[in-house]
Amino acid sequence: MGDALLSLKGLEVRRGMGVVLDGFSLDVHSGDVVVLQGVNGSGKSTVLESAARLLPLEKGSVHHGSTMVVDFEGRRHMPSQPFGLTLQSNGMIGDETVEDHLQTVCALSDMTADLTGILSSYGLEHRRHDRIAHLSGGQKRKVAVLAGLLPAMISSEPRLIMLDEPDTGLDDNAIASLVSNIAQLRMAGHGFLIASHHATILDCATRLHDLDGETGQTQDDDVVWEAIGTQSPASFLSTRVGHRYMRHTRAGLARNGLTGVIVVGVLLTLFNATSVEDQLWLVGMVLAVPFAVGLSGDPVVYILREHRAIDWWRAHVNRLPSADLIGPLYGVVSTGLCSLIFLNELRWDLVFIGTAVLWASLTFVRFIELSTVRLARPNAAFVRLLVPILILPWGLLVDYAASL
Amino acid sequence: MRGRSPEVLLFTGFAGIATTLFLAWNWAPSVSINAFESPAAQRIFYWHVPSAWAALIAFTVLFVGSTMWFFKRNSLGWKLHVAGSEAGLACGLMVVCSGCIWGSAEWGTPWDWSDVRLNSFGLLTLLAMFLVLGRKSQPDGVETRDTFSTFGMYGFVLVPLTYISTRIWQIRHPGPVGGPGAEGTIDGSMRFVVLFGALAFTLLIAGHMMMSMRITDMEQRLEQAQKKLDEG
Repeated sequence: MGDALLSLKGLEVRRGMGVVLDGFSLDVHSGDVVVLQGVNGSGKSTVLESAARLLPLEKGSVHHGSTMVVDFEGRRHMPSQPFGLTLQSNGMIGDETVEDHLQTVCALSDMTADLTGILSSYGLEHRRHDRIAHLSGGQKRKVAVLAGLLPAMISSEPRLIMLDEPDTGLDDNAIASLVSNIAQLRMAGHGFLIASHHATILDCATRLHDLDGETGQTQDDDVVWEAIGTQSPASFLSTRVGHRYMRHTRAGLARNGLTGVIVVGVLLTLFNATSVEDQLWLVGMVLAVPFAVGLSGDPVVYILREHRAIDWWRAHVNRLPSADLIGPLYGVVSTGLCSLIFLNELRWDLVFIGTAVLWASLTFVRFIELSTVRLARPNAAFVRLLVPILILPWGLLVDYAASL
Repeated sequence: MRGRSPEVLLFTGFAGIATTLFLAWNWAPSVSINAFESPAAQRIFYWHVPSAWAALIAFTVLFVGSTMWFFKRNSLGWKLHVAGSEAGLACGLMVVCSGCIWGSAEWGTPWDWSDVRLNSFGLLTLLAMFLVLGRKSQPDGVETRDTFSTFGMYGFVLVPLTYISTRIWQIRHPGPVGGPGAEGTIDGSMRFVVLFGALAFTLLIAGHMMMSMRITDMEQRLEQAQKKLDEG
């Protein structure tokens, strides 16, 4: 037998202050359907999330195929092969359409596919162009489960699929489709690691694991899944997805753009620019706006916090989706407009400095927000208390710009 | 007696600080009315400098504790992190508030965003506030401890920056009056009051941190007891 699709070697994982897994090892090979069962809190989700590189390890290592993807010393590597993942939370952005989300999953495998057949089998064909936020809870779960299965459905090479409680919220027809898909994909050589309590899912396992030991089950399926994907290399995926999120949600305008408009309004209310003669004040007013826009933070990070989408992405890529062009674009527009409003002329040197200010402040806020992403409640962590570190550099830049 | 040492240190520290304030108002000499805009306000110096000294001790403890937790998962390290951040916040706020009061009287403005010393110390205080408030907003666990200890380690870079800032970029904050790079000296009785105050604040902060570590320890024991109850 060749390399296992997944090898967990001697894992020790803590959640909270408790040790949930201690010396846990497990292999998933091509053609395996390993179902983890056990009472709530026994560590099923911890196994899946550790295998997906989402949890730090106290001991041991996780291997996808022959690639060590994470170990207890914090080393992280991208899996050499794409894998499927469905978390307990759906991990999807509400403003994405069903089609867009599933095609993004295909793009992570450098592939594309006609999804009509599989959407029909889950009763979602008529919903493919709808936003995920407009679907019912059960329909959202179907999309999340399909996103987990897709890397195997489109590939003729064996893929690892990890599903955490995939049956939650699914009706009987959807569960029947899911079990049928699992059986066909298993026959095609893909490997599954599933956490579930559902009797139908337990019945389709080849190995039942209760985190202490496992028992084998015989399956007699004979239908083999035919891969539906075609090669389609996806370049700059994180950037393209980040900008698509921006287009769909308008979060950049809602957060950063409106902040800029409000700051301009306040400055115009407080000061009559035509009566201000001090160049330092005038330049300060111009550069205050891109600074405030940048301090509003990266809108993509804000969007990714919806339903643990950020964790789903962290599992799959090293570079999270990012709207890279938003910073420079907003920088040029906001500084250029403020230059016209407060100075009555377009100063390109200020536009350049303002763009740099906006980009740097946006990047800094993104960095500190992502630094707290592992917290249980990242939105409650007061990270903005650290933002004043940027005021002194901003002040020095204003001083410099006023001397130009 | 050993079990009561935090209380003894806190009491001695409070008594020492009260004595420092008495000496500052009644014994330390006045400064030249020509050298200062507001000579009377200068007496806040006897509160400001010792509390800054205590804050730097607290931030050092925070750094040591953060490092011990992050690299060794040492529970003593986490207690030091908690104690250092709380003491750093308390002393940092004392320094910033007293500095703002003096700045208003002497400079005519409580704060100057272009001064490196003011900024670096203000940021250290904000970092301590972030660590204290942020930690209280999260359930205790390795994820919480890892994240905040990382900030505790990175934030320590501000301590040497704070130390050297008035030696390299003196903008508005007065330069040092002692140690390497000092610009001048102060009167012997003034020096005595400052050093006495520094000793008093050191005792206070040591007692505060020991008390904080004891509370953290009790919180952890309480949580373990609750978990046992949960398990029936």
